[in-house]
Amino acid sequence: MTHNGHQQRSQLIPSEDGRRQWSGIEELSDDPAFQAFVDAEYPAAQTFSPTARREFLKLMGASFALAGLAGCEKSPFVAALPYVDQPGEATIGIPRRYATAVVLDGYAQPVIATTYSGRPTKLDGNPDHPVTGGRSDVFMQSAVLGLYDPDRAQTPTHRGEPVSWKDVVAAIGVLREGWSKDGGEGLRLLVGPITSPTLLRQLDALLKQFPKARVHLHAPAQTSPQRSLTKAAYGKPLDLHDVLEQCDVIVSLDDDILGPGLDQVRNARGWAASRHRFADRPGNRLFMAESVPSATGAMAGSRLIADASRMPVLAEALANALGVPGAAAGEITERERGWIRRAADACGKAHGKSLIVAGPVGEQAAAIWAARINEALGNAGQTLKFTDPITGPAGAGTLAELVSDINAGTVHSLVVIDCNAAYSTPGELKAAEALQRVRTSLHLGSQRDETGALCEWQLPLAHALESWSDARAVDGTATIIQPLIAPFYDVRTTHQILAMLLGEIDPTSDAAVRETWQATFGDAFSTRWSQALHDGFVQGAAAFVEASPISATVTAPPEDGAVDIVFRLDPTVWDGQFANVGWLQELPKPLTTVTWSNVVAIAPDLAKRISVANGDHVEVRIGDRSVTGPAWIMPGQAGNTVALYLGYGRTRAGRVGDGLGYDAYRVRPADRPWLAKGSLRKVDGTETLAVTQLHHRMEGFDFVREVNPGEVVKQPASEHASFYPQWASSENAWGMVIDLDACIGCNACVAACTAENNVPIVGAEQVKVGREMHWLRIARYYDGSIEEPRSHFQPVPCMHCEDAPCEMGCPVHATTHSPEGLNQMVYNRCIGTRTCSSYCPYKVRRFNFFDYRTPADSPTQAAHNPDVTVRSRGVMEKCTYCVQRIEAAHIAADKESRPLRGGEVVTACQQACPTKAIVFGDIKDPNSEVARLKRDGRHYVLLEELGTRPRTTYLARWRDDGSGSGQG
Amino acid sequence: MSDRSDILPRRQSMGGIADQLTGIPLHFPAERRWVIAMAFASALLLLLMISVTELFTRGVGIWGINIPVNWAFAIHNYVWWLGIGHAGTLISALLLLTGSEWRNSLNRFAETMTLFAVVCAGIYPILHLGRPWYVYWMFPYPATMGVWPQFRSPLEWDIWAVLTYLTVSLVFWYTGLIPDLAAARDRATGRGWQIFFGITSLGWRGSAIHWLRWSQAYRVTAALAVPLVVSVHSEVSLLFAAGQIPGWHSTIFPPYFVLGAAFSGFAVVAIIAVALRSWFGLRNLVTDEHLDVLGKVLLATGLMTGYGYVFEVFDALYSGEPHDMRTLLDRVAGVYAWIYWGAVLLNFVPLQALWWRGVRRSGWALLLISISVAIGMWLERDMILVTSLYRDFLVSSWGKFTPTFWDWSTYLGTIGLFLVPFLIAVRLIPMISIFETKELLHEEKQEARHG
Repeated sequence: MTHNGHQQRSQLIPSEDGRRQWSGIEELSDDPAFQAFVDAEYPAAQTFSPTARREFLKLMGASFALAGLAGCEKSPFVAALPYVDQPGEATIGIPRRYATAVVLDGYAQPVIATTYSGRPTKLDGNPDHPVTGGRSDVFMQSAVLGLYDPDRAQTPTHRGEPVSWKDVVAAIGVLREGWSKDGGEGLRLLVGPITSPTLLRQLDALLKQFPKARVHLHAPAQTSPQRSLTKAAYGKPLDLHDVLEQCDVIVSLDDDILGPGLDQVRNARGWAASRHRFADRPGNRLFMAESVPSATGAMAGSRLIADASRMPVLAEALANALGVPGAAAGEITERERGWIRRAADACGKAHGKSLIVAGPVGEQAAAIWAARINEALGNAGQTLKFTDPITGPAGAGTLAELVSDINAGTVHSLVVIDCNAAYSTPGELKAAEALQRVRTSLHLGSQRDETGALCEWQLPLAHALESWSDARAVDGTATIIQPLIAPFYDVRTTHQILAMLLGEIDPTSDAAVRETWQATFGDAFSTRWSQALHDGFVQGAAAFVEASPISATVTAPPEDGAVDIVFRLDPTVWDGQFANVGWLQELPKPLTTVTWSNVVAIAPDLAKRISVANGDHVEVRIGDRSVTGPAWIMPGQAGNTVALYLGYGRTRAGRVGDGLGYDAYRVRPADRPWLAKGSLRKVDGTETLAVTQLHHRMEGFDFVREVNPGEVVKQPASEHASFYPQWASSENAWGMVIDLDACIGCNACVAACTAENNVPIVGAEQVKVGREMHWLRIARYYDGSIEEPRSHFQPVPCMHCEDAPCEMGCPVHATTHSPEGLNQMVYNRCIGTRTCSSYCPYKVRRFNFFDYRTPADSPTQAAHNPDVTVRSRGVMEKCTYCVQRIEAAHIAADKESRPLRGGEVVTACQQACPTKAIVFGDIKDPNSEVARLKRDGRHYVLLEELGTRPRTTYLARWRDDGSGSGQG
Repeated sequence: MSDRSDILPRRQSMGGIADQLTGIPLHFPAERRWVIAMAFASALLLLLMISVTELFTRGVGIWGINIPVNWAFAIHNYVWWLGIGHAGTLISALLLLTGSEWRNSLNRFAETMTLFAVVCAGIYPILHLGRPWYVYWMFPYPATMGVWPQFRSPLEWDIWAVLTYLTVSLVFWYTGLIPDLAAARDRATGRGWQIFFGITSLGWRGSAIHWLRWSQAYRVTAALAVPLVVSVHSEVSLLFAAGQIPGWHSTIFPPYFVLGAAFSGFAVVAIIAVALRSWFGLRNLVTDEHLDVLGKVLLATGLMTGYGYVFEVFDALYSGEPHDMRTLLDRVAGVYAWIYWGAVLLNFVPLQALWWRGVRRSGWALLLISISVAIGMWLERDMILVTSLYRDFLVSSWGKFTPTFWDWSTYLGTIGLFLVPFLIAVRLIPMISIFETKELLHEEKQEARHG
């Protein structure tokens, strides 16, 4: 870290009174103190000739001056200086790992963060954590890039002008005086969902100081809408916890339980655990009725396509079929009846081992019926558990109330804590206009975003990886968030700013968090605190509570308008908070493979009716508001449903995320956030979407294979069918097996690979011409008709062929075969003939058509994994099986003079996968997991007929019902 | 060959031919047209220089290539130019060895064309590299790290095949040129021309021993060159056939490529023959008989290439390999079907007119048909490359290819690279072999005298 060096320098530069200014850089370089400093830091400079030395000092002076004049004390990017005093416990080049958490929608995502020389470069799941078990999702994998976001707010601003924290403190003092006079009348706080015990405690304290102040909650994403559904179903706000690992049967009514979101890792883990209980048959059955294709629908053995507004009807019909009192059969189609009968049959045989879930589009009616069915089937308390809401603050008002209060003139001070109300609010609320009306507004955020730009004060927040804080995971387990690096910029944590609002002077960053946990840990504070920091969490999930459905009459939602408009959170930029994260923008969205934009997803039939093709602009109108975006024909979507994806159309996200896609919040109704009625029409204009996969049918090939229980895909072929001698193998032979029955297409592996291997981001224009750089792609295939396809995901990394066509093609030995069976890429030998890629039957190689490297002056440089070469222009690259991890394991083993242990090497993709679909290991060790799977009856080789003998192979998908259609 | 009709008009004198042909460089007859052509060619060459500068500055990303189509214009232009470069050596060497004397009016410019076409082809393997500054890694030089090229790679064979071909073509061309350079030296009046031709004619005095040595050397070089014609394009075809990509992985490729190369090469020879004879008034030397023979050769090689097309289709169908069938379908009915059908149409349909003698003997008709073939063969190279790569095995990696401005500018630029030195050669050296035409005329006169 540069910290020590800077301290040294800052002592040097001001001389007598500490206020001396230098007039020029040359003067600085002549300063004897500065020269002494340079001599200490750069001994080599002493040996320079006088001229060279002067030149060197001048340049040094220039870079230091720039660093100093930039306005913040610690800019780590301009001059990376070595330690003045090297800390005893740190060795340069050896990564250190810390347990902490990053935060998504208030919830902790527990991580083990890897740092090199004090710089966090990679986040992985915390393997001991009860929720994730070490697994990740795309948001967690990409959170580290937010730390290095060049567009972060770096200093407090007042009406856009940089100010110092002293000014902020002074202003807060004045504000507090005003609030004290009237007890906080007219003071409002706007917050996102909060699980942090410290922040909740501080908010409580603030409300105690100013009892007339009020807190409002703004949650554009998942949390609070679910709360309202549980309130309708159970009579009180609850958090529902699906225990999928105990389910034999899961019936989902448009609830994408395996899709992106807070519960994805937990649900995917649970589903995969129960799905793969047995070696010879699938362990559970998944029934999905859905309007818009999702990961859950793709995995379902039986999938029903139904419009979003049908969900309450289907829920009631299912309840009726299962004999729930009060449920009518309703008017349902033949097709729907068949699906309900099969789902009911399966559920009927699985008392206490089934689960019915209803998504938010089904609104209250579907939620109520699902609750009653679960009660009737004895699932409540078994496969479905309840806790009191984990997020707070309890009793908060809504944003709509805040807006109306502002418009009524009763609000004069507003503190917005880390939420972007000006952007992610239903357009009809006109929140942005209301914000401008408030006399004094403070925005606490890591960026001067749409909301920050409207507020009087913008107070920059530290990133989770530079903060002391705490948060709870989805099950309520708390994590104490510890900083891995001193803040880059002149920022403070939320807790520090809250402490300022509470009247503290210059609060330290960890004081509030320590205070909170002092109360919990009591006398054992120091040991338990260290233990919690070491483990990454504090044992103890939220206690389960009893709950039973209330018996209110179910009112069906109103039916009007032409088309169901469904609102979905974007699978990669979520509610828009990740818009400026390049890794997530370029991540192909599951099922569509669209990058860098959102789309208006419509059914093939509907597209034909209004004659639109992919990319044609369509206008969606809800009430008197409309939005225009590019259409995407989604095979398998319900005919009368249109899906809008939130999170795009941002204007102040930063250089990466501005001006992409359309803003679906503009038409989102405040009262029905997930499903609305509206109309759709074609308008002028079309655009080329940046998609990574152009064709989606399997064209009669068997790339993804399916197998019935009891069947074997294929007898293992003879081991070596070639005229050429086999490669001599060293002690370990690496191989990979990917279970297609487990892959939910969540992209966590791709995100992890991007972070681990410094995979460059190339931008929408390059993606459009087919030059995305991901080393691992999730191939997506459709089987069957476009109206009712069965969807498959197939991760395709490098196959590491034994008889690799690429190795034969390279004229300069730039791609070679390692004794451990890796197909290696020697970047600095590559001259870029691209023969290897031309010859590769799997087309897994990626080429640097331009210089895609991050500009040298970008802070994002610091996110690079120093163990992986950053590739220059004109060089081929591809999956290496994370060779740097293999070598690190070898080095560790060699130091201890022992062979590698089983499972010691874990690739980044394998580590991230929430369903354990990717298994990597030593195929020479017959007891390894990977060797065992290679003997499995579902095992097959992709394009085996080519004789390339890949090391990466696949397990076929289970067919649940024998027909394989997966429909109806 | 004794009962053939004469290909050259007999009523012309030996000295007249020498005067006429050496007169072209020495007293250039078509200054104005040459300057116009040179200006056009130079403009294209300038375009090439701009394109190459852009390419080296920014990288091969300026082209439309991507994954999966990571080879496109650079490679198929390379194959196309190299194919054109075949006819010269084939005409000269093969027909020299088989004693087909009609070649004598055509061989010089055909060889010249070969030389510059191979140069045009030769720059592409460098341009197409991601890091062209490391091109020398393809050669087995004593590297400090002890790394050698990878000799299993068809690209490595390619380097050797093309360099060998270029060397032998150059030697063959120059050897054939020596007596004429001496003839030009003897007629030159300007001091500069005297020195230029004096040096380049290597002291040729036309003694019997000179002729004997020369004749031996020329024939030996020809004997070397002929197998090279076959080997170099066979090797080029392996660039594709060695990969497993459907549409490439076929044993028919070597003969298919060689015949296609000869076909396109003869077409360009015909274009140049017709152009030169009308330009410099050489109807007495490049006669209608010559065009007739060229037309026949073009028709023959065209039909053989057509056979390749038929068998490529048959191979795919007979193999029953679903991926091969898929590629075949993509070629004839996919988004790039126009390239396939364009190639079929331009290569083979106008060609059929050459069954008629009148068409063969018409300069214009032959010119148009040859241009059609040159374009058709260009499309064929594109078809073999792009329509195989854009949809190979896994559907998830299927892509598309759209050439950019820089793809086209680089290609058109190499036409400039071909034309500029060719025009300079026309300006500097006798474009028709003087002594060989004289030899032929002499033989014809002898025969006429002896009946």
